[in-house]
Amino acid sequence: MTVLRSDLAFFAGLAILAGFGLSVGSLFGTYWVIVALNFAMWIALTQSWALFSGLTGYISLGNVVFYGLGAYTVAVSFKVLPLWVAVPMGGLVAAVFALMIAVPALRVRGPYFVILTFGISELVKYSILNLETYLGKSSRLLFGAPSAEAVLYTMIALAVASSVLMRLVKSSTFGRGLVAIQGDETSAETVGIPVTRFKVMGFTLSAFIPGMVGGLMALRSTYFEVLQVFNPFISFTIVTMAIIGGSNDARGPILGAAFLVFLSELLWSSAPRLYMILLGAFLIAFVLLAPSGLVGLLRKYGEGHSK
Amino acid sequence: MTALLEINDLGTGYGDVKVLHGVSIALEKGKVTAVLGANGAGKTTLFRTIAGLLPCMSGRVRFQGEDIGVLASHKRVEKGVVLVPEGRLVFPDLTVAENLRLGAINVRARAHSDDTLKTVMALFPRLEERKSQYAGTLSGGEQQMLALGRGLMAMPRVLLLDEPTLGLAPGIAKQIFSTIPELLDFGLSILIAEQDVRSTLKIADYGYVLENGLVGITGDGESLVRSPLVAQAFLGH
Repeated sequence: MTVLRSDLAFFAGLAILAGFGLSVGSLFGTYWVIVALNFAMWIALTQSWALFSGLTGYISLGNVVFYGLGAYTVAVSFKVLPLWVAVPMGGLVAAVFALMIAVPALRVRGPYFVILTFGISELVKYSILNLETYLGKSSRLLFGAPSAEAVLYTMIALAVASSVLMRLVKSSTFGRGLVAIQGDETSAETVGIPVTRFKVMGFTLSAFIPGMVGGLMALRSTYFEVLQVFNPFISFTIVTMAIIGGSNDARGPILGAAFLVFLSELLWSSAPRLYMILLGAFLIAFVLLAPSGLVGLLRKYGEGHSK
Repeated sequence: MTALLEINDLGTGYGDVKVLHGVSIALEKGKVTAVLGANGAGKTTLFRTIAGLLPCMSGRVRFQGEDIGVLASHKRVEKGVVLVPEGRLVFPDLTVAENLRLGAINVRARAHSDDTLKTVMALFPRLEERKSQYAGTLSGGEQQMLALGRGLMAMPRVLLLDEPTLGLAPGIAKQIFSTIPELLDFGLSILIAEQDVRSTLKIADYGYVLENGLVGITGDGESLVRSPLVAQAFLGH
């Protein structure tokens, strides 16, 4: 398989973005480190969501569970395991959890799957909350966590990894199989696609990076609080970004994350209510007028010009 | 006479509703076998059960002497039992070429996919012309060609064609019918379910008539055309 020009453009763009992210601290100061961290985090989360939900059409509204499990793993093992073990372990715990729930969860489709994933994430949230209360921990403080820059660099690596993964999967037979499942699951079976195996693999794969992201964010905030790391708002934001950016193409999550992160930077402190209203308005506008998101508009624009 | 695909006393349905009550059919190698019957007779249910989309509740499905009744769908495709489902279910968000390539996803077919692709494109030049177009943008006839082509990409030994001309314009339906005997050159055998009884019996070596989930009349194509029962039920005279 030859590398296409569009692939080169994508990887070059990604490298420039990553390079810029790595240098914002020295260029613009600490405040922008936080913004860049935020941006990279949402790219990694939304890209991972798109890998499964964007390609298969199984809309998960509970991806915060992977983030939360990763954060919990790092918080519990803090000062016990070295961080280079603990953070990937967070990813692993999230992936194993996804693998465990995949077979029963992926038996249902459409709105049932949406509700089920939301329910599972709430169930895990309250289970861990009760466990922590039982253990006598209302929250955990993480003293001596690495600097914001160190967290940022790792997060950028995760954002890049998730984007490259999405791009590679999308153009592989596995990725086409996932898209075929979205088209028609019965036909996918008749073609000989191992539908169950593909769905389970996709779901598990989409949990790993969010688990690591959660672990990193626990280090960033230096404390762990169950209701905060399992906040369903994180799941909602992921889906919102995927809808605005478009979720069947690796460029979509990047555009969606950029759009919302910068919109919130612009308005959050000065006009927080306006931000929420605009967010709702944009969401409705995209769902109704541009269901394939910014990336869909980009494609349409590109086609218009190449004709 | 050795049957390539042998269905014995097959019973199945959806939950408590039984649709097939003991159907027996034998498919000979290199032949076209037709399953005829009115709407609701159980043709699609039979095909889906052979392909593994519905469980085989009683009876057996044997392919080359092996019981495949408990295998998952994709395992049956790997063995060479391939269904082209009713309603031209192509993948709309993938291109024509991607649809065809996915057809060869099973291990046995994957190694030969480049050669098979050439053969399929030669059989349906239309697909070659439209290979980078999204399948959702094709016309009904083209989608049926794509569904057939995608089935062939799996290198089937038995091709199950469920209503391949349903909803197509008569001219295109005729074209599809004329292609079916050509498919035998691929060394495969065909089981076809169709509403168009007259055209089907012209190309079929043998036929079974399904009635309310049971096999009614059987016979070679010729004798079925002449059968007064078939004539009365399906041919309208």
